[in-house]
Amino acid sequence: MRGNTVKTQTIHPKITEVLTETFKVPAAEILPESTMDSLEMDSLAVAEFAVIIKETLGVAADSEKLYKDATLADISAFIDVAVGGEAAGSAVPVSNTR
Amino acid sequence: MSQSADQGTGAGAGTAIAVTGVGLVTPAGADEHSFWEGLCSGHSTARHCEELAGLPVDFACPVDSIDLDEAVGGRSVWRMARFVKLAVVAARQAVADAGLDPAVWDGGRVGVVLGVGVGGVSVLVDNAARMAASGPEAVSPLLVPMMIPNAAAGEVAIALKAGGPSLAPATACASGATAVAVARDLLLGGSCDVVVAGGAESVLTPLVVTAFARMGALSTRTADPAGASRPFAADRDGFVIGEGAAMLVLEREETARARGGRARALLTGAGSSTDAHHPTAPAPDGRGAQRAVQSALDQAGWVPVDVDHINAHGTSTPLNDAMETTLISRLFPHRPSVTAPKGVIGHTLAAAGAIEAVATVLTLERSLVPPIANLDSLPDAFPLDCVVKEPRHQRVERAVSHSFGFGGHNVALAFQRT
Repeated sequence: MRGNTVKTQTIHPKITEVLTETFKVPAAEILPESTMDSLEMDSLAVAEFAVIIKETLGVAADSEKLYKDATLADISAFIDVAVGGEAAGSAVPVSNTR
Repeated sequence: MSQSADQGTGAGAGTAIAVTGVGLVTPAGADEHSFWEGLCSGHSTARHCEELAGLPVDFACPVDSIDLDEAVGGRSVWRMARFVKLAVVAARQAVADAGLDPAVWDGGRVGVVLGVGVGGVSVLVDNAARMAASGPEAVSPLLVPMMIPNAAAGEVAIALKAGGPSLAPATACASGATAVAVARDLLLGGSCDVVVAGGAESVLTPLVVTAFARMGALSTRTADPAGASRPFAADRDGFVIGEGAAMLVLEREETARARGGRARALLTGAGSSTDAHHPTAPAPDGRGAQRAVQSALDQAGWVPVDVDHINAHGTSTPLNDAMETTLISRLFPHRPSVTAPKGVIGHTLAAAGAIEAVATVLTLERSLVPPIANLDSLPDAFPLDCVVKEPRHQRVERAVSHSFGFGGHNVALAFQRT
C-alpha cells in the first residue's frame, strides 16, 4: 500500500539496504512491524541511519522524533511521501522535506 | 627483579609476568602462524595502493588478507573505525590463545590497555569533506565515537566483557609497547588478574600518508616499494607506513599457573624514558633510549651481557637506525643478534611495539630469529650482528624489544624464555 496512506506493509528498499549492509541487521528481522529498538538500533545508530537517508534520498528528518519509535512500515510510508514530493501526512511529523 | 612495590592482591617485587596469549593482524598475515611465516620469509609486504595513486608516496603495507567486517561479526561493526576492528580481532585471538573465556571470567579483574597513536582519522577526513560540501547535517553522529583513539580500548572491553581498568596510551610509535608496560604495572599493582594489552593503528589515508611524506619520514622509493623498507641498510631513506594490531594476554605467572594456563614467555622488565630533546628527531647519542633499556634490564635483574637478542625498532629512517646502532653497540658490545620486523611489515606506528613484542615471544619459543628484509649492505660504521637473508636458528634465553616514538618516547620490553 502506498501513496496517501501512511500505514503500509511494504518497506522502502533503501531502508532494507541500509539496515542490512551498514548496520548488519539480519534480513529476516526486517519486517513492517519491526522498530529500531527491536532491531537493536540505539540512538546513535538511528541518528546515523537518518544521515544516510538524507544523503541518499534527500529526505531529512529528526531521527529521535521520526525514526526512533516508529515501525519500519511507518518510516517507509514517510520516506515514500517525502520522496514523492508530497506534503507529509499528519500522522508523521516532518521536520524538513524536499 | 621487579622494582614495583608490593601492593594489592598477590603482586609485588619478584613477581613474574607471563605472556599467556597472543593475537595479531598484520600486513604479513592475520594470525600468528601466517605472520611468522611472512616475517621469516624476509620479503617486504609493501606495495602500491590504489587509494594513494598520484601522491608523492603511493605505497604502503596494508592488511589485505582478512575480511575485517566478517572477522568482527555481529551488529556493532558499523560503529567501528578500521583501527578498532583490527584491535578487536587481535584481542579475541589473544584471549582464545590464552585459553580464557570471557563468558565465564570475572571481567572486573580484566583490564584492557590498547595503545593508539592517531585514531580514526579517515572518519574525520571524510566528515570534514561532507561538512564542507553539504553542511552540518551531513556530519555523522558517529564521528566522535569512531574517531577517538580510545575507541579501540572501549570496544575491546565490550567484546571481552572486561570491566577492569581500560587505558589508551598514546606515545606515537611506542604506544603498543607502552601498553604492555602499563599492563605489567597493573598486574604488579594487583588491580587486575588479566590484562589484554597491545596496540592498533590504521591511517593509510591519502592525507596522513602525504603528511608523513611531507615531513620527510617516508621512503620515496616509489619505483620499488618492496625494496623501500630496509632497516639499518646504508642506503635506507625512510620508513614505509603500515597498519595492523597486536594484543598480548598478560597474567601474573602464579595466577596463570593456578588456572592451568601456559606461559609462552615471561615479561621480566619494561623500561620507559623520554628524550626531552626534539618533537620528532631522536637524540642522536641514544642516551634517552638507553635509559629505557637500562631500566628494563634492571627490573629483570639482568646485566647487558645476559641479552642474546634484540628486536630493534629499526624503522629504516636515517636518524633512528643510526641512533639505535649507537645505543646497541655501546650497551651491548657482545653483539647480540638483531632483527627489525619493519623491513617486512613496514612501520605500523602504534601497533609496532606490540607486534614486535609478539615477534620477540615467538623468537624465544621457536629459537628462530627472522631476517631483516632488504638489508644487503650494513654500513661499516654499524657494528651490529644483524640477521639477514634467512632466519637464523638461535636458542634465545633473554631478549629485548625496543620501541621509540615521536615525542621522544622510549620503551624497552625484556622477555625471557620459559
